[in-house]
Amino acid sequence: MILAFFNKWTQGINNLGRFSRFIFAASKCMIATSFQPKTYPLIWTQMNTIGVKSVPVVMATGAFVGMILAVQAYGQLAAMGLEERLGVLINIAVVKELGPVLAAVMLAGRVGGALTAELGTMNVTEQIAAVESMGTDPVKYLVAPRVLSCLLLTPALIVYADLLGILGGYFVSVIQFKINSGAYWDFSAMHVEFWDIGTGIFKGVFFGGAIAMISCYKGFTCREGAQGVGEACTEAFVGCFISILALNYVFAVTLDAIYKTFWPLRSLI
Amino acid sequence: MIRPDIHPHDGILVAKNLVKVFGKRTVLDNVSLAIEEGKTTVIIGTSGCGKTVFMKHLIVLERPTEGQVFFRCNRIDDLRPRQLAGIRTQFGFCFQMGALFDSLTVFENIIFPIQQHRKITDYKALDELVKHKLALVGMDGYQNQYPASLSGGQKKRVSLARAIALDPTVIFYDEPTTGLDPVTSDVINELILKLKQELKVTSIVVTHDMKSAYKIADRIVMFYHGKIIADGNADHIRNHPNDLVQQFIEGRVSEADLAALKLGGTKYQTQFLPEDFK
Ligand SMILES: Nc1ncnc2c1ncn2[C@@H]1O[C@H](COP(=O)(O)OP(=O)(O)OP(=O)(O)O)[C@@H](O)[C@H]1O
Ligand SMILES: [Mg+2]
Repeated sequence: MILAFFNKWTQGINNLGRFSRFIFAASKCMIATSFQPKTYPLIWTQMNTIGVKSVPVVMATGAFVGMILAVQAYGQLAAMGLEERLGVLINIAVVKELGPVLAAVMLAGRVGGALTAELGTMNVTEQIAAVESMGTDPVKYLVAPRVLSCLLLTPALIVYADLLGILGGYFVSVIQFKINSGAYWDFSAMHVEFWDIGTGIFKGVFFGGAIAMISCYKGFTCREGAQGVGEACTEAFVGCFISILALNYVFAVTLDAIYKTFWPLRSLI
Repeated sequence: MIRPDIHPHDGILVAKNLVKVFGKRTVLDNVSLAIEEGKTTVIIGTSGCGKTVFMKHLIVLERPTEGQVFFRCNRIDDLRPRQLAGIRTQFGFCFQMGALFDSLTVFENIIFPIQQHRKITDYKALDELVKHKLALVGMDGYQNQYPASLSGGQKKRVSLARAIALDPTVIFYDEPTTGLDPVTSDVINELILKLKQELKVTSIVVTHDMKSAYKIADRIVMFYHGKIIADGNADHIRNHPNDLVQQFIEGRVSEADLAALKLGGTKYQTQFLPEDFK
């Protein structure tokens, strides 16, 4: 029993070590790749599959988040006669937390699963070994372009989610709840700061990195067979999801601390 | 057949006392083998005896648990990936299952190693080169197909064309003729002979096809449970005293296997009768 527990532990630590080495190798390759025009077409293709094709789904997520926030918050605020400040609440929630996190979660599902399945299949059909046997570093050829596109495009996708979230909230507030449009924007503009939007987008870089790294790692280390690939995909998605939430918590704490050191007081109303 | 004193300069590729353990299974058990330059070495052995694993050690796709691998007298099994990359351009490896990149067309598959290691300036010449390599394996005209739309034997031949794209000095073939019809098999045999004669290529071929083995081999090595049990030219193998070798080359089932089959047979013999399916 104790031995089994101990074994689990050492295995866990082993995996962690391997994952860190993978991240290190991938980062090194990524930097090298950024300076080699020869590899740009690869990055371009990945950007298309990872980024461009995710735009609709991310936009839909953002729009619904904004609309739901409006519906849920209206009653509470209206009871206090504060309904004109609905925009503040919706927009801050969208650009700071919900937009970035939900966009990243959608990406984890859409892109993370696909990356793991693709690389996992390549692994079990020896295609990764084939890349290696021809004297090309598989991390450089396969992982670096994927991670790079995720890093660069997640923030861009978050902008889309934010935009649609704001518009969704606006339309529900103004059209359904008949809030004065001018007041809605004025209050929003007064309280939503560049800091909120900026940090939300900034977080995207890390979410994107986490999604790509975890998914590629799971694909590279996936076990044989269809079942192995399936398991790797599940593990990759769960891993991405948890790390997005964990990263978000870390950002919430640190960014809040940074903000407070510069601007001591801030009220939402 | 164990040669305890093998030296790095005994051949172009030398494996010394290789041991490979997967989990608790010893797949390679103290294998020493020197591959001679410009010769064709054929590796035979029953399924699962470690032939593929051994070949992968020679290009360091697998790292040995114990032992060393030398290429032109330099130790390579402990090199870093970046150093290995340079050496690997001199190797061509044709995987047992083809391992073609299924997101790329046949054409892109074949130019992959060229793109990675050479600066391409003349695209016309590249087209010609691909055409030539594909023609060697009888696959010209399939440039724009994806591997998914090829048959098993066709995939294998394209993978062979990819392995020789960079004109390597050492080519590894993992069962190149398995799954091919007798005529195409012989085309591959002739190709291996041709590459040897014209370009002095060193070939290492894993095969189960004894006819092809006798035809192409300068030397035949037989593996059994991760050990080398026979090593010599075709005649040596044909007249080898070991019963295991004779069984293999004649394709004869052993008494023990037969006994096991019989035992299994009686158990299920009467389980289903034609009436059962009516
Ligand atoms: N990556 C691996 N992990 C664990 N075991 C492995 C691995 N690769 C190979 N093996 C085991 O090593 C043994 C030898 O495998 P290998 O692929 O070398 O057989 P082979 O001689 O090429 O057989 P065949 O003629 O069927 O291709 C097998 O029993 C296999 O289970
Ligand atoms: Mg094999």
